[in-house]
Amino acid sequence: MKKKNFNLIAGGAITIFFLLIALLGQIWTPYEPTAMDSMAVNLAPCAAHPFGTDNFGRDILSRVMAGSGSTFFVAVSTVLIGGFFGTLIGALTGYFGGWADNMIMRFNDILLSFPSILLALIFISLLGSGSYNIILALGILFIPSFARIVRSEVIRYRDLDFVKSARIMRAGHMRIIFAHILPNAGVSILTAAAIGFNNAVLAEASMSYLGLGIQPPDPSLGRMLSEAQSYLSNAPWYAIAPGVTIILIILGFSMVSEGLRALKE
Amino acid sequence: MMKPLVEIKNLSIRFPEEKGIFEAVKGVSFEIHRGEILGVVGESGSGKSMSALALMGLLPKDADIFSGEILFNGRDLLKMEEDEWRKLRGSEMGMVFQEPMTSLNPVLPIGKQVGESLRLHTKLSENQIREKVEEAMCEVGLTDVKRLCRAYPHELSGGMRQRVMLAQAMVSSPSLLIADEPTTALDCVVQAQILSLLRDIHEKKGTSILFISHDLNVVRALCNRVLVVYKGEIVEEGMTQEVLCHPRHEYTRSLVARIPAYDGRGQGEREMIRLDNVNVFYDVKNGFFRKNGSKHVIHDMNLTARDGEIVGIVGESGCGKSTLCKTILGLHTNYTGNVWIREDARPQMVFQDPFGSLNPARTVGWILEEPLRLRGIRDRSERKKRVSDMLEKVGLDASFASRRPRELSGGQRQRISIGAALLMESRLLIADEPVSALDVTIQSQILELLLRIHEERKMTLLFISHDLNVVRRFCSRVMVIYKGQIVEEGLSGEVYESPAHPYTRLLLGAASMETEMEASYAEGKTTSEEKEAALCAGTGSFGCAFYDRCPAACSICRQEEIPVTALGETHWVRCSVFAEKAKGKIN
Repeated sequence: MKKKNFNLIAGGAITIFFLLIALLGQIWTPYEPTAMDSMAVNLAPCAAHPFGTDNFGRDILSRVMAGSGSTFFVAVSTVLIGGFFGTLIGALTGYFGGWADNMIMRFNDILLSFPSILLALIFISLLGSGSYNIILALGILFIPSFARIVRSEVIRYRDLDFVKSARIMRAGHMRIIFAHILPNAGVSILTAAAIGFNNAVLAEASMSYLGLGIQPPDPSLGRMLSEAQSYLSNAPWYAIAPGVTIILIILGFSMVSEGLRALKE
Repeated sequence: MMKPLVEIKNLSIRFPEEKGIFEAVKGVSFEIHRGEILGVVGESGSGKSMSALALMGLLPKDADIFSGEILFNGRDLLKMEEDEWRKLRGSEMGMVFQEPMTSLNPVLPIGKQVGESLRLHTKLSENQIREKVEEAMCEVGLTDVKRLCRAYPHELSGGMRQRVMLAQAMVSSPSLLIADEPTTALDCVVQAQILSLLRDIHEKKGTSILFISHDLNVVRALCNRVLVVYKGEIVEEGMTQEVLCHPRHEYTRSLVARIPAYDGRGQGEREMIRLDNVNVFYDVKNGFFRKNGSKHVIHDMNLTARDGEIVGIVGESGCGKSTLCKTILGLHTNYTGNVWIREDARPQMVFQDPFGSLNPARTVGWILEEPLRLRGIRDRSERKKRVSDMLEKVGLDASFASRRPRELSGGQRQRISIGAALLMESRLLIADEPVSALDVTIQSQILELLLRIHEERKMTLLFISHDLNVVRRFCSRVMVIYKGQIVEEGLSGEVYESPAHPYTRLLLGAASMETEMEASYAEGKTTSEEKEAALCAGTGSFGCAFYDRCPAACSICRQEEIPVTALGETHWVRCSVFAEKAKGKIN
């Protein structure tokens, strides 16, 4: 009996919901996310401000909407960068093997052996803060994990008969790699991408929390959390809205990646 | 008349499935008499193993014995308490499975595994158990038993593992031995040894054997009586000779007459492929720091095939057949000598394993379009049209184009592979065991398809197989390979009517289990001890590769160059003993 893939469906729904919210946040928010209102400082959730307001009287709902937008943007871009270059490197090294493969993979191992957030901090301190630099730093740091996954998939398929058959038909190496082998790695790459999104969301949030990511006054979920810290006792809603949003976004991605893994089996 | 040992009455076994219920065994009734070998023949999925598994109480958990009774010595097993049944199984029944690799526990020494049932079901002391185990292992033809008892499964060859399995099954002297495809995973020489071992056990101990197989030749050689199972029902039952010589049911008939014959028409004169003194090597990695060596896989191979010819290449697994294919196709480049293929050959290959040879991520249509794309046909609709034409040509429906390989059966996949080769307009098709992974009835369909296409296109076909019966009818010329060397070559008729090389004889003997080959080579035979000594003394690379297994081996086989003897215009053999004999006749 075939079970419905609950994880994929529910996770997909959550992800799509937040994606839509984030997209909406780019074109319309109830209030201007950066507009301050000295008359409405630290308001508890009410009809006018469903998630309350912060210490400058800014509407938290609007800031969460706009902030999820930048979070998504950072996550998507980093995964795209890491996924693209990682897939390319993994596919080529896995297919051709040899000393280049050995070198690149050992370098990979070195990168993977450090906590990525630490490396990202080093990058940022070299490049300077800001969302584009975060994307660049995280994107580069995601390359090794993608490369590793794609490489192992390519090696798994490299010596199978259908690849031999393509070689016998005189298909070129690039055609064999990209048209014959890589489609088989599709699900693995997607799974890796879903996990990558998660890590990117978390990394962006933590770096903004540390003040290295998106700069004020632009809203960012991580930054909001760090600012909310000082008001935790008299305005707890300030922390709740961005915190729950991060948790839900990550939950959605985790469920999607879990669902994809089940799909693969 | 004595009561039968096992009576199975009206047994039905069902499996719950996605859509309703699948009935694997439909009201089957049969008996196993005391001291008989009963063969059960059928293809995979026919339910032939199910009744045996039910007898052993080894059915999968979701199986439901819907009706029927299984009487063992007159007692219904299905009504027995689990404990009692288990005791009975341990002492009265033994089972040997197909896969000797996985049916032994890799982390326990052999001796322990063989003695397990004694330890569980008898009150014998450890010493007595050890004695019994050693005795059982000697009986199945294992030597150096004391050392073997301490060995682990991975140290043993496939044939030895199967012997160990047999010892394990026989250690408690059961009255019934169930053998489920016990020789399928073995090469034909070892297969013959295991079969004669089973026969010995049967004769010496009077054990009843339930022998399950898809291979008619094996069943013919071993069993007194045979049941033919088709789609969960017994369609035919009777004495083996009777059933196989005069099959009544349509399915049995298709089993017996399964190999289409090739009449050798359509042979051209132009050479399609030519190998001169080809030696092939494999790189052997010895580890990170040690020097890498190379292994000599194919020795001085000379081979030609002409336009439209079907050449059979026969040999057991590991003899270098597949390496030969790879070398011809240019997939393996570490060789010396000349490999020449005619320019318009566009060689293609049909692989043995239909599940690895099609890209699982692509649709059948995409896979079949690929050769056209690579040949530079840019027009999409033209490609699509050719693909659907080809699908029909290989006996499939045009709607298969949108399916994925995993939705297809083994036979359908092989059809797709053949179709892809045809779309490449191949003039040289190499078929590496194209049917050995398929069911018997499907085999004949695929062979027929190959023949039909050969008839139409007159391509050259290199047909690689370990199955002599297929090769015999299918090919005009045959080469027998042993350890990377052609040991005999000739027209099919010549090789099969008058096989010269001891290895060819052994292969033929293994297939039909009739020949007492040792007698014909009795004079000047070397004993196994002498062989051992010679092998130890020699460098190992000297002389005949078949020396250590050859029943006719004698001292002249250790000379460096094994002479080739021509037996006719097209028939020759590489054997020292034969050369001596031929000389004797001339002198």
